[in-house]
Amino acid sequence: MALSKEQYQAFEAIVGPENISDDPVDLDAWAWRSGQAAMAQDFKPRFEAILMPASPAEVQSIVRLCNKTGVQFKASSTGWGVYCDAGGPGCVKLDLRRMNRVIEINEENMYAVVEPYVIHAQLQAELMKRGLCCNVNGAGGVTSAMPLAAHEGIGHMSGTCSISERNLLALEWVTPEGEIIQTGSLAALGEWFCADGPGPSLRGIIRGNVVPLGGLGVYTKAAVKIYHWAGPPTMEVKGASPNYVMQNPGNFLLRYLSWPTEEGRSLGIQKLGESEIAFGIMGFNPNMVAANVATSNEEELVLAEQYSKEIVGPGFCVVLMGNSPRDFEYKKAVLEQIIKDTGAASLKAVEEGDVHDAFVWRFIRVTASIRETMRGTGVFGGEVFGTDCYRVMSNFIQHSRVDKQDLIDRGLVYPDNTDPFITSLEQGQLAHSEVLLRWTPAPDVAEAAMEYVGKSNANAVNGHYGLPHHLFNDFQHDFFGPHTSNYTYWLRRIKKSFDPNGVSEASNHITAKDV
Amino acid sequence: MPLKDHQADMESCCRCSACKFIPLEKITGQQYSNVCPSISRYNFHSHSGGGRMGFGLGLIRGRVEYGPRAGEVIYNCNLCGACDVSCKYAMEFDVLEPLYAMREGCVQNGQADPAWDKLVKAMEKQAPVTVGSLGKRAEWHKGLKVKDYVTDKAAVVYHAGCLASTDATAGATAKTALSMLIKAGLDVGVATSGEICCGGRSYEMGYRDEAIEQAKRNVARLRASGAQELVTGCAHCYQYYKVLYPKLGLDLGIKVTHVVEKLAELVEQGALKPEKRVDLTVTYHDPCHLGRLSEPWIAWEGVQRERHMRVYDPPRTLRRGTNGVYEPPRELLRSIPGVRLVEMDRVKEYAWCCGAGGGVRETNPEFAAWTAGERLQEAESTGAEALVTACPHCARNLSGGDSALKVLDVVEILNKAI
Repeated sequence: MALSKEQYQAFEAIVGPENISDDPVDLDAWAWRSGQAAMAQDFKPRFEAILMPASPAEVQSIVRLCNKTGVQFKASSTGWGVYCDAGGPGCVKLDLRRMNRVIEINEENMYAVVEPYVIHAQLQAELMKRGLCCNVNGAGGVTSAMPLAAHEGIGHMSGTCSISERNLLALEWVTPEGEIIQTGSLAALGEWFCADGPGPSLRGIIRGNVVPLGGLGVYTKAAVKIYHWAGPPTMEVKGASPNYVMQNPGNFLLRYLSWPTEEGRSLGIQKLGESEIAFGIMGFNPNMVAANVATSNEEELVLAEQYSKEIVGPGFCVVLMGNSPRDFEYKKAVLEQIIKDTGAASLKAVEEGDVHDAFVWRFIRVTASIRETMRGTGVFGGEVFGTDCYRVMSNFIQHSRVDKQDLIDRGLVYPDNTDPFITSLEQGQLAHSEVLLRWTPAPDVAEAAMEYVGKSNANAVNGHYGLPHHLFNDFQHDFFGPHTSNYTYWLRRIKKSFDPNGVSEASNHITAKDV
Repeated sequence: MPLKDHQADMESCCRCSACKFIPLEKITGQQYSNVCPSISRYNFHSHSGGGRMGFGLGLIRGRVEYGPRAGEVIYNCNLCGACDVSCKYAMEFDVLEPLYAMREGCVQNGQADPAWDKLVKAMEKQAPVTVGSLGKRAEWHKGLKVKDYVTDKAAVVYHAGCLASTDATAGATAKTALSMLIKAGLDVGVATSGEICCGGRSYEMGYRDEAIEQAKRNVARLRASGAQELVTGCAHCYQYYKVLYPKLGLDLGIKVTHVVEKLAELVEQGALKPEKRVDLTVTYHDPCHLGRLSEPWIAWEGVQRERHMRVYDPPRTLRRGTNGVYEPPRELLRSIPGVRLVEMDRVKEYAWCCGAGGGVRETNPEFAAWTAGERLQEAESTGAEALVTACPHCARNLSGGDSALKVLDVVEILNKAI
């Protein structure tokens, strides 16, 4: 369903001729699958046109026109995720690239206000100059810093910098009908410091278990909570790509710790949480560590074999940041005690020298996620993941790893062993876990991926592990709804209430079918 | 190489957008964090490295045609290679090579820029002398007593490049460089009757066959000269002789050096002594062709040996732009008394292009000027009095705008000190 000439001209009148295209060249640039899911098809459905609005007012005009004409829309920032794609014909893309301003960094009240196309690496760099930092999505520094843009918003510093779900403060939202709504303190006072008052909150509606993945209007500005940074204003980085090495300012330390059993790792996580010494924690498995350090797939294979001889079982990476020399010495001493008390093994290969220093900065800037997940084949197969209490997630993901072995045995995924990753959040009991799979897209692999997700979903239900976070469509929601208080009933009513014309394309969220 | 031969590489693109920014570890703020002029200017994803992989795959599959929009997008790219560097920080495939192939596709499908079509066809007729007026090819070295390496033997050949013949400033810089090489006692010669164009820009514009023919003429002439070293005054020519010729399967048979490398060597040896004080704060602009694009060509042919991991037999080594000529021009500047070098945010392998690359200055002067303006703003932010570079194309494109900065070649500053 191509746009009619009149429809195209109406959109063009809003954004200007330089900021709209329906040429196949521009459409196919976005139609190439994002690499965030294994699927048989190379290309996703094309958008009918690409529009690049520059302001909330332009977004509003586009959305209103969509309601008037019945054309669907979907907005994205950097557009990496599979949920940024069109679900079918009749949809225009709002590429928010021109909305890329850091509106405000409020040092006193510790928040930053960003537009959708500010990426984490940019915001983090600006914050560091002011002695501040932010959570950076585990997907990487190249993702949007807006806490509603990039799925869950869980990252390496989520121990101390929390997660997007909690970091979201006041918000500016263009609803699916084209109303501009301000939430929290922005609505009542014109200030960004709070999501839930004194103005209306709407947090559960605009966010939910995970963000609506493009399916409930367009978020045009958001305030994000920011945190303390004890590193330098600008990190000195020597060397050349891809071998950058941080000039260690002397108050950072990284260790990769492993334990013979999952119980050991759980205890280690618990003690780190209790002591609150960790700036960052990420539950890398041995292959992720190898991929992180290696600058090529070839090198990754060598390092993975080398590291696997030293790593004794489930593990995670921990980074300490000292606020003063005394604080740093204290944290190091506590870490040593935890290692001793829990029987952890530290991976010597990453403890010292350039390997250590490079790892620290990659960890903080979150630059190696692409190496860990995409470099192998260009496709990320983290199809199964969730966030809940540590023990719940641990048990859930241990079930899912068994099913991964089946895929390995059938030659459908790369045999990088079955270790899942699990990481604690906010120094406490909240945890996020994923099983990573790497595979080359092909019909047999895509079919196996569906089977695998199905088995994991059954595990989640039978084990009472709650809702995973990979619920990217009606099918998945309909599977879990009856087992989870029929939340789909309410989610669909929210969708219908705010999007009565069904123009906010929701193939990766939930549609208002049967409402 | 036809575009379809790059298909496996292109399919590796996961659409992460890293190609739009400088390597993430090097970002020190929002302002100078973009790396690709094309996406920065035009915003459509199709203008980024990743977007080009996407619609390039559409071209291969026949979903997209080589029509006017394809031509417009493909030629509104500086071929500066910055996307390639940023991508390869994490990923393992060539982004830049498919872009050359897409231009070949444009030529084969009648979507080449008309101005370049005319120019390249003229080059064929005028061979061996090419771009620019035939009568002015030797003007730039007028007044210098220099050998003709074609008729007399010379150990070193100095190749000024086409721009020296058509642009007075570039010609003067070339003459200065040559005079310093002579002063240092080198047995150096030029083609006094006129250089043959290296053919590199033809290749960049998609005229592969014409470029190969032109390159063959050069190889024959230089091999016949018996010279041991070719010193180029132009960064573009340097990259073409050093990288493109081997890529096209041609063996020049002699060492290729850029003039800043040679001058740095001569200063190191004491053959040239920068002793006079030049009080100037400068910032250095890395030309793409001297920097990230000049890394030696690595020929590779092989097969993927694992179904689910892109590892190859034989193992594949990628060019990542990190072994370019970055230090010699900086060493020269540091060797000059009174010169203070301050660096811009985007340098070396992730430097921002001047805007002239990829034939953009000829096909889209407005875009070339916009890109230069961005660079000049960045240079001004360092507090430098002069923006110094080592490429006549960069110097020309960075000059003539609104900036109060002086735009100089390293050669000129060095000459003042000697």
